[in-house]
Amino acid sequence: MNKHRTTTALAAGALSLSLLIAACGIEPEESDGGGAPSAGASDGGGASQGPSSAPSADAVGGGEPEGELQFANWPLYIDQDDDGNSPTIQQFIDATGVDVTYTEAIEDNTSFFGTIQPALAAGDDTGYDIIVMTDWMIGNMARLGYLEPINVERDVPNFLDNTDATYLERSYDPGNQYSVPWQSGITGIGYNPELVDEEITSMSQLFDPAFIEKYCGQIGMFIEMRDSMSFAMLYNGVNPTEATLEDAEAAQETLLEQAPCVRDYYGNEYAQGLADGSLAITMAWSGDVFQLQFDNPDLQFVVPEEGAILWTDNMAIPKGAAHPNAALAMMDYVYDPEVAAQIAEWVNYITPVPGAREIILQHADEAEAEDDAETADYLRTVAESPLVFPTQDMLDRLFSYKVLDEDEERQWNELFDEVVAG
Amino acid sequence: MPDWLRRHRGLVPYLFLVPGGLWLIVFFVIPMITVASVALQEGSLGTGYRLTFNFGIFGEAITRWDTQLVRSLQFGLIVTVLALIIGYPMAYTIAFRGGRYKNILLLFVIMPFFTSFIIRTISWKFILADQGFVLGTLKDLGIVEQSFRLIATPVAVISGITYNFLPFVVLPLYVALERIDYRLIEAATDLYASRLQAFLRVTLPLSISGVFAASLLSFIPAVGDYLNAELLGSRNETMIGNVIQRLYLVNNDYPQASALSLILMLGILVSVFIYRRVLRGQELTV
Repeated sequence: MNKHRTTTALAAGALSLSLLIAACGIEPEESDGGGAPSAGASDGGGASQGPSSAPSADAVGGGEPEGELQFANWPLYIDQDDDGNSPTIQQFIDATGVDVTYTEAIEDNTSFFGTIQPALAAGDDTGYDIIVMTDWMIGNMARLGYLEPINVERDVPNFLDNTDATYLERSYDPGNQYSVPWQSGITGIGYNPELVDEEITSMSQLFDPAFIEKYCGQIGMFIEMRDSMSFAMLYNGVNPTEATLEDAEAAQETLLEQAPCVRDYYGNEYAQGLADGSLAITMAWSGDVFQLQFDNPDLQFVVPEEGAILWTDNMAIPKGAAHPNAALAMMDYVYDPEVAAQIAEWVNYITPVPGAREIILQHADEAEAEDDAETADYLRTVAESPLVFPTQDMLDRLFSYKVLDEDEERQWNELFDEVVAG
Repeated sequence: MPDWLRRHRGLVPYLFLVPGGLWLIVFFVIPMITVASVALQEGSLGTGYRLTFNFGIFGEAITRWDTQLVRSLQFGLIVTVLALIIGYPMAYTIAFRGGRYKNILLLFVIMPFFTSFIIRTISWKFILADQGFVLGTLKDLGIVEQSFRLIATPVAVISGITYNFLPFVVLPLYVALERIDYRLIEAATDLYASRLQAFLRVTLPLSISGVFAASLLSFIPAVGDYLNAELLGSRNETMIGNVIQRLYLVNNDYPQASALSLILMLGILVSVFIYRRVLRGQELTV
């Protein structure tokens, strides 16, 4: 290729490059205020604009279930029979005649949000009628106007009848205007008494440099920013739900001091470390420790004196969903104590329906009557475990994550990035 | 051949380039432009991103993540050297002493690819666990200290990457060595070169294109690797790939993640050019 042609080609390339760059901006639908995108395009269920304060008359629902319900949830988060089907879903289909497509599409709050965000920003149907997101993400999505408002009094009466005060009036969604809980769990401390000489009861034993020196390299923390930052705040005597930027900076200090003795910052794989003896003391999720205890009954889970985190995954209807009535019917259905018990028996997280406990015990008696001692034992373990049905004393010491606005989230992330990338 | 094509025979080679060229445009050029564009935007997922030609982001990203950038280049270099030291004798043996077993030996080299490298790397985690059967046994025998560990150390991460990319080193080295006419080496020894001299003066220079290709095929993916650091390392082994992954998928900070990707590519390009100079401009012929 001669020189002249090279130059021409380069110039053409540069021109198309700049055109493409200009065309590549990822922008939300044009909205008047420039803040939260407006929801004008969602005519699926007579939907309304942005967050409002009172349970609203413009909530979706109030009609007959329509079409085929698209339900996105996390893996292994509903009961399964031996064929991998969910009896709960099947019973719902039989009871209501509404077809359900249940997918385990959600691995992670932010990456799932990333996949549906373009549709939400453009005012399109995401293809899902129910999504299950952790509390802080519900707060974010509600603020952005990405969730349909619901009227629990009219459409989810089982929720109000059967849930516990703990699950009402949560900071991320006051008055349940957009969501109802699916399951909850506790982020607390798990430890292996074989490797730890004393009983673990407080945050100091996870953060105090003098104490953790002994277990240096055998301590596990979470890679999830909100979990680890909230823990450091509790150690610093701060209520994480109401933490300020200064509190976050102090939490970063605490975490950096602790970091040399931390083996790693984990996602789900901490459970393997706790099971195989690589971790002596670690942040842990109640549901995981409950299941690990079947293999190693010595493993302990504690809610430290200073407190711990109660997180809740919630069902919500994304803006523009095509089948909001079917979604509401499903939400109501899973708050039937029988159904809630059936799910709790299988997933072992904390059900928002305390009455499920009695029913699980009944199921245990029935299993015993049928000479199925193994099932009966298992069901009793579930019903009696404080990791599945926490005591009031535990619940009193639990805090929620703070719902961060966009700037705070960026600032907190930047603080925490420095902790996990040494 | 249709008439019009017969009249423009010169076009034929370009037509052959069309499928590959299209593929590169769709899966390389356009994504690259998108990455460049995203790097220069500001905003957030919630409010949207706008192109502001924020070139300052490159400086910010470098100062913020310099440790991880340097560490990645270091790890990549160590991995490449280790892989050459391990891979060269392997390739040499297969090429010159493999005889009729050559193909079987080569099959063994690529055998690890029959299972996913994620599964293989996770297996290392089990095998080398603090109380696992290797370290657990050594600890019980009192050979190593109770607090000794391999997982969550640089040794584990570098070994993991070396292990994963070794076949990419052995194969090009084998191809380069295989092509050497063994009579040249015999001639060298006939002319009173020692075996070492024959190797250094004849075999090694003739295989240098293989060494170059092998180095590229291990260095480039090694620098960008994040899985080994993720599974076998700790915060002190965080590589730039882990940072980019975190910025993209956890923080949803697309601009900074894109800027870092571009910086990483530039860093790799520069390293490769320097290396090429060092090897005195050997053509990449393998």
